[in-house]
Amino acid sequence: MSQAVVDRLREHFGERILDASDAFGDHEVVVGEGDWSDVASFIKDDESILMDHFTDLTAVDHPERPDARFDVLLLMRSSSTGARIRVRTQVAEGKELASLSALWPAANWAEREVYDMFGISFAGHPDMRRILLYDEFVGHPLRKDYPIDRAQPLVPYRDVEEIEKLPPFGIEEGQPFARIDWEARLAGGDAQVSPAIGLQQGQRRTLSDSEAAQQLQERLAARKAAEAVAAEPSTAEEGSGE
Amino acid sequence: MEPADELLEEESALELPTEPMRLNMGPSHPAMHGTIRMVLDLDGEKILNLDIQPGYLHRGFEKSCERGTWAQVFPYADRLNYVSPMLNNVGWSLAVEKLLDIEVPERCQYYRVILGELSRIADHFTCNGASAMELGAFTPFLWLLKVRDWIWDLLEKETGARMTHSFGRIGGMAAPPTDTLKDDLKALVPEIHNVVKEAEIMLLRNRIFLDRMQGVGILTKENALAFGCTGPVARASGVAYDVRKDDPYMVYDRFDFEVPVGQDGDNWDRFMVRLEEIRQSVRIIEQAMEQMPDDGPVNVDDPRIVFPEKDDVYTTIEATIAHFKLVMEGLRTPKGEVYSFTEGGNGELGFYIVSDGSGTPYRVRVRPPCWYNLSACREMLMGDMIADIIPTFGSINMIGGECDR
Amino acid sequence: MPTFKLDGREIPFEPGETVIQAAWRAGIEIPHYCWHPGLSIAANCRMCLVHVTSGRQMAMPQLEFDAEKGEYVPATKPKLQPSCQLAAAEDMEVSSTNEEVKAAQASVQEFLLLNHPVDCPICDQAGECKLQDYYYEHQGTLKRKLTEPVHKPKGVRFGPTIVYDAERCIMCTRCIRVSDEVAKDHVLDMRERGNRNEIVLAPGRELDHKYTLMTEHVCPVGALTSSDFRFKARVWFLKSGQGVCTGCATGCNSHVDYDPRYGKVYRLRPRDNEDVNKFWMCDDGMMTYTRHDQDRLTTPTRGRGADRVPLGDAAAIAEAAGLLGGVDADKIAVVFSAQHTTEDNLALAKLAEALGTTQLYLAALGGWEGDDILRSDDNNPNRAGAIAAAGSELRTTADLLADVQSGAVQGVLALGWASTEQLEELAPLVSLDAVVSLTSHVGALAAVASVAIPVADVFEIDGSFTNEKGMAQSFGAVLSPPAGVEPGWKTVAALAKALGHDLGFDAVEQVRAALSDNVEAAQ
Repeated sequence: MSQAVVDRLREHFGERILDASDAFGDHEVVVGEGDWSDVASFIKDDESILMDHFTDLTAVDHPERPDARFDVLLLMRSSSTGARIRVRTQVAEGKELASLSALWPAANWAEREVYDMFGISFAGHPDMRRILLYDEFVGHPLRKDYPIDRAQPLVPYRDVEEIEKLPPFGIEEGQPFARIDWEARLAGGDAQVSPAIGLQQGQRRTLSDSEAAQQLQERLAARKAAEAVAAEPSTAEEGSGE
Repeated sequence: MEPADELLEEESALELPTEPMRLNMGPSHPAMHGTIRMVLDLDGEKILNLDIQPGYLHRGFEKSCERGTWAQVFPYADRLNYVSPMLNNVGWSLAVEKLLDIEVPERCQYYRVILGELSRIADHFTCNGASAMELGAFTPFLWLLKVRDWIWDLLEKETGARMTHSFGRIGGMAAPPTDTLKDDLKALVPEIHNVVKEAEIMLLRNRIFLDRMQGVGILTKENALAFGCTGPVARASGVAYDVRKDDPYMVYDRFDFEVPVGQDGDNWDRFMVRLEEIRQSVRIIEQAMEQMPDDGPVNVDDPRIVFPEKDDVYTTIEATIAHFKLVMEGLRTPKGEVYSFTEGGNGELGFYIVSDGSGTPYRVRVRPPCWYNLSACREMLMGDMIADIIPTFGSINMIGGECDR
Repeated sequence: MPTFKLDGREIPFEPGETVIQAAWRAGIEIPHYCWHPGLSIAANCRMCLVHVTSGRQMAMPQLEFDAEKGEYVPATKPKLQPSCQLAAAEDMEVSSTNEEVKAAQASVQEFLLLNHPVDCPICDQAGECKLQDYYYEHQGTLKRKLTEPVHKPKGVRFGPTIVYDAERCIMCTRCIRVSDEVAKDHVLDMRERGNRNEIVLAPGRELDHKYTLMTEHVCPVGALTSSDFRFKARVWFLKSGQGVCTGCATGCNSHVDYDPRYGKVYRLRPRDNEDVNKFWMCDDGMMTYTRHDQDRLTTPTRGRGADRVPLGDAAAIAEAAGLLGGVDADKIAVVFSAQHTTEDNLALAKLAEALGTTQLYLAALGGWEGDDILRSDDNNPNRAGAIAAAGSELRTTADLLADVQSGAVQGVLALGWASTEQLEELAPLVSLDAVVSLTSHVGALAAVASVAIPVADVFEIDGSFTNEKGMAQSFGAVLSPPAGVEPGWKTVAALAKALGHDLGFDAVEQVRAALSDNVEAAQ
């Protein structure tokens, strides 16, 4: 059922479907950000797909990918066939993605939430405001580099002009035991002592020594070069002549 | 508006001013429960435009999930839809179990179904009772809520807590069913039936109730789909979609039950769908009670997923290590992304989870059913009267914890 | 390039290398307890068993239960080999993850835990214990042996630094081999057999060589614990920064393990560096972290002895500038520090250049004994860096005292707390009015100073040391300095500004740029 949707999309879009998978039984296609609205309107209107039941639209932050920082995901269901599909695209920070709110009005709030939480703007959205947080909120909290214990400045009562602004919170408060300090991690720090936790956080095994590995590679390359020179004396002479 | 005596000075000024009036409803308004603010543009009592502003109960659920272990999400999940926390617990368990590719023993699946359906009954009774109360009928509210109390008594006996149970576990439940579960259910189920009947006697022929429910807050089937509505809201609009029927999970495919569907998509249909779903949930519980094995394991047999028995933890090193690893580092999931969805109290409760292969979720996205139901609320109310907001908003059953996360 | 296949992946190796070592260099860990890249091969833990799937298969006879016959019948199973002792060969195919190997790993793991005490809650190794990690990865079953475990001695004092728990020990003999091969002192050995096996000291000895903490460092379980770190912290709360040991001129690379909640360093661990310290550090080096919070100077002071009073930060700089400004520039002695980073010393050199003084000295520690393993004869981490920063030979503090007495020096600007001389020997400096000490700790130089200004300690700054081989090694800050305290180079720059010279140093990058200019100029 859902596989048929993937096949139909492959058939219609060909190379523009960058990837398709069904890991854990969830059917997914990956499209370029330029094809986002084309694919969306196609799955909405195509006779054999008819994805009319909006399920969800959300994003995932991968700060280690500067060219395509965010995954944006559209989850849809067809009320006639019961098929489900997940469409994924990647967006760089600061880039806009086409809004789908004209296709399904539910995308209106979903895109506002993604904007609120990740700072991804949607081009053509009728009402690009924050939705869960207030206008004075600084930053986008579901980004990985937003520390969970960051204190926001206090907002003065809005209607009163010239009010003395209360000082922001003092020392950092909140949840100092977060397992990953993403700011430090992105800066290359935040090594964990406990190896199992460290491994979870992307550290190499404690004993592995990349420098030694590199030296070995260099030694091996040098030996290979020496062997090549020994095997082909004529080319070696030409090489040394230069 | 200016005082009337000022206007009387000139005859023509008897006409009321016609520019729209802007009115703030909520967030501190008794009918805006769950803390919602609506900014209304009114022409007299008619709603010209409204802007629904959620977020007053935003606590950073999704961000908080990214800092603990997979198992530490349960207490947060309880506080999503806090009217039916057991359904959220089960939803979260199933999501992580999908990622781990494990299935819990059958006894546990039945146990989850029974506790979940009890939660659903409590949820629907609360919603319907509150809807009636907001229209001035206080007796039905108390009458229906007493069922919720009975259910909570039973859940307290099973889980140890009345409301936020945190009873789900990845790979099972925190404890096996008590010996008295079936007897308690047998005593409780006929009572639930009676109360549903009494509710119908009290409300279905009440003129005020009918007038304010019927034909008000209409949502068409097409809009219900396009707005992503699910659960009773979508079913009242004629969308025969129930995850338990369409994508059966656990043992739901073994039960004989029906999915009630409305015709008009108005408040009345939403009220009636919920009332009928209570009956269907009772049917499911009755069947599950029959089919559920009386003994057998509740949890999967893997100390790397489920906590070992405390006796073992205190006396053997293997269980100590397993306990230590589960607490300090969390159970390790395979790398990947899954979307798992169940029928929550308000519709499709989805968890989109991303795992980087560690003991901590990389990203947890909740697809809150009432988020989309609420976004359709504007569509239901445009052109209606200001007083219609109260029954319509009530029939959405917006739960702040789930909507705002 | 010869390669072999490990689990389908091509692994390059040098002839003579073992499978586990080649895999380790390629970043793959085959589970192991007794093998260590810096030690000889013991092959006694049997955790690293692998299955060589190419070539003629070795079969091992065993009995298998036949359910039909109801009795045991002869059968064979593939013979597994320890990858730590198995030399890699061209085109060999090795599996470390197939069913036979998994079964062997699970069994070895279960065997090692048979008599293990339930100690995780009180064990310092918990959180970085291989028994725990491999249990979760390779065993994952509950206990089957329900009899009382074998009891052995616990909490045995091996020496001033190490406590031994025989029940936790898995007899990998790493500690014995570290003593033999790194410290060249056969002070540990093993006695008894089977489950009565335990590590013992040589009769009449205790574990007191210079590398005892390495035995604890290599211990894969919690059998050997350091008396210093014991019961102080739980490792999952610790974060780790990269440091360079300040103990001597070898400049061993270290992990600085600290608790971010309290801003406190709990221990150092050696950080692998093939060119400097391999995998090791000496005991004295490991303990240098304790200097950090002992005798810290946190507020600037003025006056000496009983007249010493605290000052504000800005006032201290102004006071120091006032005192130094009152002395002829060419009579100011600038004292560099072999304990401070090259950056700090460079800023000082720039200030000396700006002042126009040529009276340059070097304060350093003394009284230390080197060896031919790791320890250098010079117990200052940055003598070479300080001399390079100054750009010329530096005279000693003894020369300084002579110059003070002869009147050639009338003002002193000194960096650091370290000096070879004791407080009494530095007494002549008290006769001068203008003695300014920039120091992280209270030392003899700070005691005789008329103005002492605190600077950040080595754990609180980004900096670099040049070791005796001339290798510049940089390290990063792990803690924040006490309120109001700045890195040495910054304090020197502020002082220079107060004296009317702008060094142009606002960020550590600018100092480093100046440093590389210096290096280029020297070449």
